[in-house]
Amino acid sequence: MGEECEELAFETIELSRQPGEREEIVQLLAKCGLTMEEGVDTFVVCRRGRRLLACAGLEANIVKCVATDPLCRGESISLKVVSEVVHLAYERGHAHLFLYTRPNNIAFFAGCGFYPIVEVPGLVTVMENTPIGIRAYCNRLKAKRHDGERIGAIVMNANPFTHGHEYLVHQALAHCDWLHVFVVAEDVSFFSYADRYALVSAGIGHLPRLTLHHGSPYMVSRATFSSYFFKDKGVVGDCCTAVDLLIFREFIAPALGITHRFVGTEPFCPTTRKYNADMKYWLQADLSGAPPVAVVEIPRVETAGTPISASEVRRLLKAGSMEAIDRLVPPATLDLLTRKYAPAPAADPILMRAV
Amino acid sequence: MNIAKESIAGTLESNDLLVKVSPSLDASLEVHVISEVMYQFGAQIEATVHDELDRLGVKSGVVIIEDKGALDCTIRARVEAAILRSSGAEIDWSRLS
Repeated sequence: MGEECEELAFETIELSRQPGEREEIVQLLAKCGLTMEEGVDTFVVCRRGRRLLACAGLEANIVKCVATDPLCRGESISLKVVSEVVHLAYERGHAHLFLYTRPNNIAFFAGCGFYPIVEVPGLVTVMENTPIGIRAYCNRLKAKRHDGERIGAIVMNANPFTHGHEYLVHQALAHCDWLHVFVVAEDVSFFSYADRYALVSAGIGHLPRLTLHHGSPYMVSRATFSSYFFKDKGVVGDCCTAVDLLIFREFIAPALGITHRFVGTEPFCPTTRKYNADMKYWLQADLSGAPPVAVVEIPRVETAGTPISASEVRRLLKAGSMEAIDRLVPPATLDLLTRKYAPAPAADPILMRAV
Repeated sequence: MNIAKESIAGTLESNDLLVKVSPSLDASLEVHVISEVMYQFGAQIEATVHDELDRLGVKSGVVIIEDKGALDCTIRARVEAAILRSSGAEIDWSRLS
């Protein structure tokens, strides 16, 4: 019996539990000029008999590593394998999916139900699996639009909310007619999204001329800027910040009429520092049909000569130095940290202090 | 029946369609149709989808149809499957016709 008579079989593989499958997938990806991406554990594979014909990887809500053996193209195997991975994602509770691809593959993924959002020219296109995603999101934003000459925006993770965030917001408010503040919604930071949002709301929600927004998958999210959440790995590719910033410039800023984006200077974290530097290019340079957004970098407020930063607060929290945190954060933050996040009291406090 | 969670049914193969449903943020019913044959059959596809949603008693939600030239019976079946999955209801298979 000829091989082509055998049925196609689809199977889900978890590499962490089936490490033996890894090599075959790596080889298929290599045939297609792709490499295995870190963090992709789940693959849907398509086989005919024993032979691996196609694969599609899934990392939470992002489809990655889609490859079809060059000898088997034209049988819509690629469409089938993408379709399988989309159904799998739904079963796992991820309905809103994103993928990154080279711009020359847009037509192929369009046939698989993905729609382009933005393109970093010549490098990468980010697509989502809904024709109304970013458009519906912008329509909801438009309802919160306030007209004015200078409309500002701040996107903050507030992990956790400090006097530094408070200062940045007051400085920005002094510079514009209306300020939109977004809290990064991705729930992978040390403090939960619900807690981060509640503390920001307690700190600045009452201010006039300010709208506090929930974050979305379209800004500093796993989908638009995954490396932000894995800063420890160090490397941030140029494309990563570009996608996030272009979505801001081409969709979010026009929807709300944002003219200025405010950021605090970043003395400590290289990822955030690079994001700020890239922001000046992608939001201001003459490279997009959308109008430029002016980037305003505000020097961080200091206490006793040290800039206040959320990462410093997390460091102090880990070390159990609650009294040092007191100077850096508003009472609501200190209260929550003490109640919910402070390390359990040490068995031997004297020994702990010595460490 | 209610659209209680996001769900999906169908494929993007020729003569089929992909139906994605999700709960509405504002209790409205939105139907979006994208079709290979939009010009000739767009209105009819939309009417069929609305009729099927009516029959299932769906009052609110977002329904996205990506059609690749499916027949009406296929459209009804795929819409019903997406709604049943989304409602989380126990399915009495013998009652499905």
